[in-house]
Amino acid sequence: MAVESDVAQLRRGDLDALSTLVTRYQNRLYRYLLRMVRQPAEAEDLFQVTWIRVAEKIQQYDPQRNFEAWLFTLARNLAIDHLRRIRPESLDEPIGDEATGETGATRLQSHEPAPIERMVARERTGRVGESMESLSVMYREVLTLRFEEEMKLEEIAEVLSVPLSTVKTRLRRALDRLRGTMEARFPGENWL
Amino acid sequence: MSDHQKIRSMLSLAAAGALEQAEEELLLNHLRGCEACAAEAETWRQLASGLRRLPTPQPRAIVVERARAQAQIRLFEVFERRWNQTVMMGLIFFAWVLTLMSWPVFRFVTGGLIGLLDPNFHHLWITFALFTATVWAAGGAAAVVLSVKSRGERRLA
Repeated sequence: MAVESDVAQLRRGDLDALSTLVTRYQNRLYRYLLRMVRQPAEAEDLFQVTWIRVAEKIQQYDPQRNFEAWLFTLARNLAIDHLRRIRPESLDEPIGDEATGETGATRLQSHEPAPIERMVARERTGRVGESMESLSVMYREVLTLRFEEEMKLEEIAEVLSVPLSTVKTRLRRALDRLRGTMEARFPGENWL
Repeated sequence: MSDHQKIRSMLSLAAAGALEQAEEELLLNHLRGCEACAAEAETWRQLASGLRRLPTPQPRAIVVERARAQAQIRLFEVFERRWNQTVMMGLIFFAWVLTLMSWPVFRFVTGGLIGLLDPNFHHLWITFALFTATVWAAGGAAAVVLSVKSRGERRLA
């Protein structure tokens, strides 16, 4: 209810309502963008552009729609455009051996993190997070929307602009791939 | 497809909480009597649990503040532009009303009220029409120049 109220105020041009919404969604939106593009600097840029886009398009927002789904759709479109522009290959399936997690994006020298950074990141995200990063963007996004954002399948379908059946198919394939990757990388080990 | 195959194909979606009610019941009934499938379900449950417990990365405070400030500036600009457009429309409407109303007054002063019913074109009417058109054209050109200049300044900012 508070979200609807803030959104209604934002539609009337209330700057404080915008500030409240930024605070409310900052972590979730950034996490989603980071899962999409994988690079913190790029996710931060997209985070800022997304909120500017919200300010520009809030008049076109239909209050009957779910605001969260609308917000994540804006962010998704920006992230997809960005990936298409910067690393078109990252929109496809991983080009390397999925078990090693090598993708077109990770092969780019400019984006290759230092070994120490990789180790820290690995410690931070654990095996599941590390394996998830090796999946293609299509699977990463459906996993993060379902398990991290805890969106309903209908909401995910709205964000991705696909039918419900497609969401289920992607979810199943994403989980299958994630499990396959984990079994290949960490055979016989505890995944968690 | 055997019962086991059918059930196993449902396990990943079950861990994601994406099954229909009927499918869920079918699955639970099967798992009660099948240890192999129950173990498989447990593996999927662990994977789902790992996904749910992924740490939430947080944006840097400076990034959030910058995003907030930029979005607020843009929101202000959007609403300012809308307000300006509304005022401009109102002024244009008012100007047209004033112009149209001034014609009969003008004719009354120059040619008498009866001239209203006489649509003859004479030089005063043409002069007045030319004057009005010139003023409107000049006003429109000024508005376009100001708008282009303002947009350029905003882009530079």
